[in-house]
Amino acid sequence: MSTDMLRVEDLHAGYGSAEVLTGVSLAVKAGSLVALIGANGAGKTTTMRAICGLLPPRRGRVLLGGQDVAGLPASGIARRGLAHAPEGRRVFGPLSVEDNLLLGAYPRLPHFFGFHGQAATELERIYALFPRLKERRSQLAGTLSGGEQQMLAIGRALMARPKAMLLDEPSMGLAPVIVQEVFAIIRRLKDEGITLLLVEQFAKSALEVADYAYVMERGRIVVEGTPEELRRDERVLAAYLG
Amino acid sequence: MDSSVIAQMVVSGALMGLVYALVAYGFQLTYATSKSINFGQGELVMLSAFFSLTLTHWGLPYWLMVPGGLLFGAAMGLVVERAGVRLALEQKSEGWILLTIILGLLFFSTAENIWGRDDRPFPTPISADPIHIFNVDVTPLEISVAIGVISIMGLIELFKRKTLLGKAFDAVSADRDAAELMGISATRTVMLSYGLSGMVAAVAGILVSPITTVGPTMASALILKAFSVAVVAGLDSGFGVVLVGIFLGALESLASFYLGSGWREAPGLVLLILALAVRPTGIFGQTAIRKV
Amino acid sequence: MTGNWKRFLLVRGVELVALAALAAVPLAVTNPFALGLLTLLAIYGILLIGLDVTVGYLGQVNLGHAAFLGIGAYTAGLTVTLLGGGMPMALIGATLICFVLGGLLALPALRLDGPQFALATLSFSALTTTIINEWESLTQGAQGLQVPRPPLLGVTLNAPDFYWLCLLLLGLVWMAMRNLLASRWGRAFEALRDSPIATDAMGVGAYRHKVIAFAVGSSLGGLAGGLYAFNFQYLQPQSFTYELMVILLLGVVLGGRKSLWGAFVGAAFIVLLPNLLSSRLLFQVFSGIGLTVAVFAAWRGLASKSTQPFQALAPVVAMGLLLGGSLLVTNTEDWRKAIFALMLFSVVVGLPEGVMGFATALLARLFRILPPALPAAAALETVLPQRPADGTPLLELHDLQRHFGGVCAVDGVTTTVRSGQIHGLIGPNGSGKSTVVNVISGLYAPGGGAILLHGKALPSGSLYRVAGAGIARTFQNLQLFGELSAIDNVMVALKDVFHAPLLLVLLGRAGAEELRAQAAALALLELVGLQDQARVRAKDLTYGAQRFLEIARALARKPELLILDEPAAGLAHPDAAELVKIIRRVHERGVTIILIEHHMDVVSELCDVVTVLDGGKIIAEGTAEAVKRDPKVVEAYLGVVAAEPTEAAA
Repeated sequence: MSTDMLRVEDLHAGYGSAEVLTGVSLAVKAGSLVALIGANGAGKTTTMRAICGLLPPRRGRVLLGGQDVAGLPASGIARRGLAHAPEGRRVFGPLSVEDNLLLGAYPRLPHFFGFHGQAATELERIYALFPRLKERRSQLAGTLSGGEQQMLAIGRALMARPKAMLLDEPSMGLAPVIVQEVFAIIRRLKDEGITLLLVEQFAKSALEVADYAYVMERGRIVVEGTPEELRRDERVLAAYLG
Repeated sequence: MDSSVIAQMVVSGALMGLVYALVAYGFQLTYATSKSINFGQGELVMLSAFFSLTLTHWGLPYWLMVPGGLLFGAAMGLVVERAGVRLALEQKSEGWILLTIILGLLFFSTAENIWGRDDRPFPTPISADPIHIFNVDVTPLEISVAIGVISIMGLIELFKRKTLLGKAFDAVSADRDAAELMGISATRTVMLSYGLSGMVAAVAGILVSPITTVGPTMASALILKAFSVAVVAGLDSGFGVVLVGIFLGALESLASFYLGSGWREAPGLVLLILALAVRPTGIFGQTAIRKV
Repeated sequence: MTGNWKRFLLVRGVELVALAALAAVPLAVTNPFALGLLTLLAIYGILLIGLDVTVGYLGQVNLGHAAFLGIGAYTAGLTVTLLGGGMPMALIGATLICFVLGGLLALPALRLDGPQFALATLSFSALTTTIINEWESLTQGAQGLQVPRPPLLGVTLNAPDFYWLCLLLLGLVWMAMRNLLASRWGRAFEALRDSPIATDAMGVGAYRHKVIAFAVGSSLGGLAGGLYAFNFQYLQPQSFTYELMVILLLGVVLGGRKSLWGAFVGAAFIVLLPNLLSSRLLFQVFSGIGLTVAVFAAWRGLASKSTQPFQALAPVVAMGLLLGGSLLVTNTEDWRKAIFALMLFSVVVGLPEGVMGFATALLARLFRILPPALPAAAALETVLPQRPADGTPLLELHDLQRHFGGVCAVDGVTTTVRSGQIHGLIGPNGSGKSTVVNVISGLYAPGGGAILLHGKALPSGSLYRVAGAGIARTFQNLQLFGELSAIDNVMVALKDVFHAPLLLVLLGRAGAEELRAQAAALALLELVGLQDQARVRAKDLTYGAQRFLEIARALARKPELLILDEPAAGLAHPDAAELVKIIRRVHERGVTIILIEHHMDVVSELCDVVTVLDGGKIIAEGTAEAVKRDPKVVEAYLGVVAAEPTEAAA
């Protein structure tokens, strides 16, 4: 489909002798939010790692804006326009909030000096979206709360002005109130037309915001459809609770 | 014992200790990004010092020789990374330990044959006439060592804080995978760290050679003490190496004075073994949690 | 039985023939130079066998071995000159002193990771050289120590006699080490290299075995040192330097790690090396051969895509430099260190298995040598005795706590695991399941609360001691001993089987025990369906087989309580079904099981009771059916329905 910003075809990947993904295929149309849900151990995070290049796929294609990026190193795929807010947030603890954001735009900015100036408008955009980050711009990222780190991880990914963005379990380890804030941000991103692939453990929250969803079990997609279709599908609950 | 003599010993020793700290700082740079260090770093110091000496023999004035020597050191650091470290890192093995030792031996033998086995004097425009400060004789040369060490460490820290490339360096040190996701190539950053480490080795060589002369034995003399400082302070301790370096330098000086010059090596070695026995992560280092 | 005879002939036969040939040499050859070389060969053989223990079996870079050679040499020499002792006393003294010093060095050094261990041994080496140099009153320092060669049992040893003594000792060391490394000791050494965590968890103290391995290796260095002293009869501290250490490493790596023949081949290489270098033509020929081999290997490796470009080309470059150097340089002696470095570089990168590693694979294919036949499997009852499953409380957790930095992973967990039950432990990601189990098994110490086994406090914070208390486990991320075979993996963990004293092991008289152990291990492999893959290396097994192997290994502990940490992770359907059958079989033996799993179908099928964790706390407990329908559980897994979409909070 020519409108697919991100497409994964028959992806196989694993660790050591284990094959975790046994042929995963999904598509994310430009400007849409697609959710990938399923129980733990189903392979959702492995899929994200295989797409973004942290795990080299054994078979299959990953098409970003029509270009096959499977097999490239993660930094190469990132430079081609795929941003990833990884599971566990993984902000750079010893660096400040602002430095974290600046690094999100690393490929586009001058490496030595002058990067502050060039990134100024971008930074303001992110700070407008996340006022709390602006308050804490010089604070070390490691001292932020879980919710703030999640905002930072998302902001950092946005700084790259990506073609597509991967969001891996943004709600993990966060209190329900903060989770709601995070999903409000995700809705805002959707409104701005950002192409998003969202992995979530909590099916209900994910289905609230998604345009389309895939359900994974044991390394394969078992069900797919619109949220309305899936909410009525018993197989979804079965995939989680047997 | 005459307190001014002791003070003299301590100060001279402490200044030498700064050089150990500088080499240890070089270890930290590569350890931060790749959890590896160059076991042949001492040979790198010697090789850069010899190369710089040759530059002056070819007629280059001192202040032009310095950047030349630094570039050479950086280049050699890159060679070490490519030949000795990258393969092992890709295979997630510790083969770099043996490989950097081997490369060090190769450098040593090459230096021995090109420049000979004797110690050679190293020219410097800085005076070696002692100045009397606070009851202690210090030469401007020794002071230049202190200034040089602090400056280069300061410059690199400034680079890490003020440039985007420097921030990327810290990012890779903090979380390699996350840095890759930002489009930062971890491999390139490791190369950079080895280049910087090589440059730092060259600085150490240029600073210390006027005092100790250049010779093949320079390598082994320096390296174990630098290891001691790095391990005792902790391989992720930043400027902690300066404190430990000063302490070790002073201790060595006193040992040499009271026990005889052959025992000079002993404090560093004993400290290293003690540190490894009692607190392997170093005084200022941090322990990690195991995950299964 | 022809297989056995073939193997016996090829392995033992060759050893005996070689020994006889070497022993016969002085009868035919009287050239003292040649005899001297052979004597040195025997001495270095012993030395490298010792080094191979740490470098090959433990997999560490040991930079202190040359120091032990020196310590042994000086000990032996001083025993004769200062104490007036005879040769036996000197040699025994050298061996024992190095055993003790090696142990003392190992105690702190082996707590460390690879690079720091290398540093520790390096500094020990430097310290030793300094002490020998400076303690002139004892060692004569740099001037050197003259060592007379005392008579042995009243007989003055001339050159052939001394050679036969060295050869005899080499033969004894060879036999003893072969027996040691084929026994449970050798398995333990290899196990702790592959996974120190699993080694501790299987009740084999990783640390103490590492220390013993290092001490044994060092003692052999000491023995070699003693012989060295009586060979040269003159000692200088300059002989035991860093350069020698690198040559020793070259010998071990080139000859082949984890191999007695490898140590011997390496020793031969080291001994012949100076001769190789002294003749320029010979050296050029040698470099030429080396380059040809490297190019050939590179071409084959690249063509079959089995080696990556750098690994294939780097040895070619190094060998090319060597050949180039040999043609250009007039005095090869001066470039000795560079030559060693280039050779060692080529070997480490291009031939990591060493000459013997390569040769053994070749010979095994040529002669089709089969490994010895395994005995019949023992009865399961002897290996995993039936336990009464009476439902009494076995393991109790009272308000268990564990924090990591600011995060509270386990926040007051109280539950009881009853004897004979399969107790499931489930919960979303980050709920604390693995942490609970890691605290119980001793990987982490609890931050608060109590763990009781049969009403008594369980030892905490030590995998080894918890293993000793009767609890065994598998790991979420497999912790197999990759380089060991399946049956060896299980044998490492066997409990109450190995009673033979060390001396019997060294003399090779513990064979019956080994067979019993193999039979026991086979019984467990049968339980998990791997009996036909007993000799396959663990890392070469399929993923499903590896998971099952970990279970068999844990069962070798005869555990009362077995903890399975996500055993079904990544398993395809057929393997998952097989896993359920295996767990049922274990359950039937009366073993109590704690099962962490994500796959709810597995949990429903197997578990008698299920505890659900979320955020470090228990939110539900009961039968699998009850728990699945509990709204709190559903909410924990699927999330809360979001309230009206609100503005993003400031």
